Amino acid sequence: MQLRLLLPAVAFTMSALAMGQSECSEFWKSAPRASDVRFSVNGQSKGASVQVGVPTELNIIIYKGQDYRISFVYDEKIIGDHVVARLIEKVRGPRKKTGQAGEDAPAFEDAKKVIWDNQDHEMADAVEFTATSTKRIAIEVMAPGVPENPKDAKRGRVSSDIGCMGILIEHMPTPAVGF
Amino acid sequence: MRHTYALAALLVLLFSCSSPTTGTEGRPETLVIGGDDASAHTDNLYQMPTPNELFQIVRTMSGEGQKRMMSPAKNVERYATRQKKALNFGVYATDLVYASTYKITSEVVRYYLTCKKLGDALGLAGSFSDADFVRLERNLTHGDSLDVISNEAYERAYRRMQDERMGPTLALVLAGGWVESMHLVARQVLHFDAGDPLVIRVAEQKTSLDHLIEMMEQYKDDPGVAQTREKLIGLRDIYDTFPVVRSEHLGTSPSGRPILGEDVNVIITPEGFKALVDALAVLREDIIRPEDIIDPSHS
Repeated sequence: MQLRLLLPAVAFTMSALAMGQSECSEFWKSAPRASDVRFSVNGQSKGASVQVGVPTELNIIIYKGQDYRISFVYDEKIIGDHVVARLIEKVRGPRKKTGQAGEDAPAFEDAKKVIWDNQDHEMADAVEFTATSTKRIAIEVMAPGVPENPKDAKRGRVSSDIGCMGILIEHMPTPAVGF
Repeated sequence: MRHTYALAALLVLLFSCSSPTTGTEGRPETLVIGGDDASAHTDNLYQMPTPNELFQIVRTMSGEGQKRMMSPAKNVERYATRQKKALNFGVYATDLVYASTYKITSEVVRYYLTCKKLGDALGLAGSFSDADFVRLERNLTHGDSLDVISNEAYERAYRRMQDERMGPTLALVLAGGWVESMHLVARQVLHFDAGDPLVIRVAEQKTSLDHLIEMMEQYKDDPGVAQTREKLIGLRDIYDTFPVVRSEHLGTSPSGRPILGEDVNVIITPEGFKALVDALAVLREDIIRPEDIIDPSHS
């Protein structure tokens, strides 16, 4: 009896482990495309396996004079019914002096600034924007996970906390609208 | 009963292998990304734009493409080490995309075959396929298809290196590609003018260099990556002398989409531009120099 209970758990765990990077690497392709057909798929789109509760950062470059659409697709059974996402710009510049000794040589560091947070946009799964400067952007996402099913727990089923997530990036030259 | 214990032990073992230390147990009640200690617990992934993105932008600002600026394809057999093969695969793949974007059709086939040869040597057989080669030959008169086919091949090789966890090789390929892209763009600037859109694009590539160096950091234990990264840091030192000005964007986007964050402008002077282009030329020469030729600076 115990053996029968354990077998599905082992099988489930094995399949979760087998779902490695390669299975998730093309997950971004399942994201719905932009309604504006002028957008084309950007080569920086990426799929990966992510762990619930652990932030994942996808670092990309956006070019001045382009419009972008960044959207998220994920396995809702594991990741949850939404993701928490932010766009953070990174700009390298001189470190602010602290007044301490030995600060003669110019030191540089990345200044980070949150420029979009989906918690301010009803947990939106996509964002469209115009890039007016070439920038390094970190797309930071975190999966909330799903509440544990009491029936599964009772049956000894172990739920996985690693699932697939895809980030689809689309771009087009910023179009002019109006007259 | 013994089976039960064995399975339970297997289960424990599997979980100990798969679960990082920050599991659901330590999950906070409220999801807050970031914070001061976030970087230590964050999975960082890096992507670089494909060269065609840059070329599509600068094509509208520059004249015709020039094949004499591309790295000589005949040298392909003369790279022996993995470091040189990877760097020059990046160089040739960028040249292929350049030739396709600028419709230098006479060179597209030559560089496709060059990339295929070097790709095979790096274990990327199939990324530049025979089927695509036939497709390419059929489309030589349709420039628009050429850049699509070339870019697809580039992306296939790129994703394959990611999927097969060829991180150090990919880092070197991207470094070679970045240097060649910069060379191809910067060489189109004949007279310095700080307001020239091409000069501005060269200045902006500080951003992609910072990104590349950060990406390469995870492979810095690889001697080939470490050596190349050091040379790129030398270029970044020049870029670091250029002031970066942040300002609020005035006006709205022509497309009506929101503008996120401030405008960031890299200010470049004639002296700074010259220093950058000169250093870039030295680095590129070092990368594309065949390994059967002794570096004159070492003799």
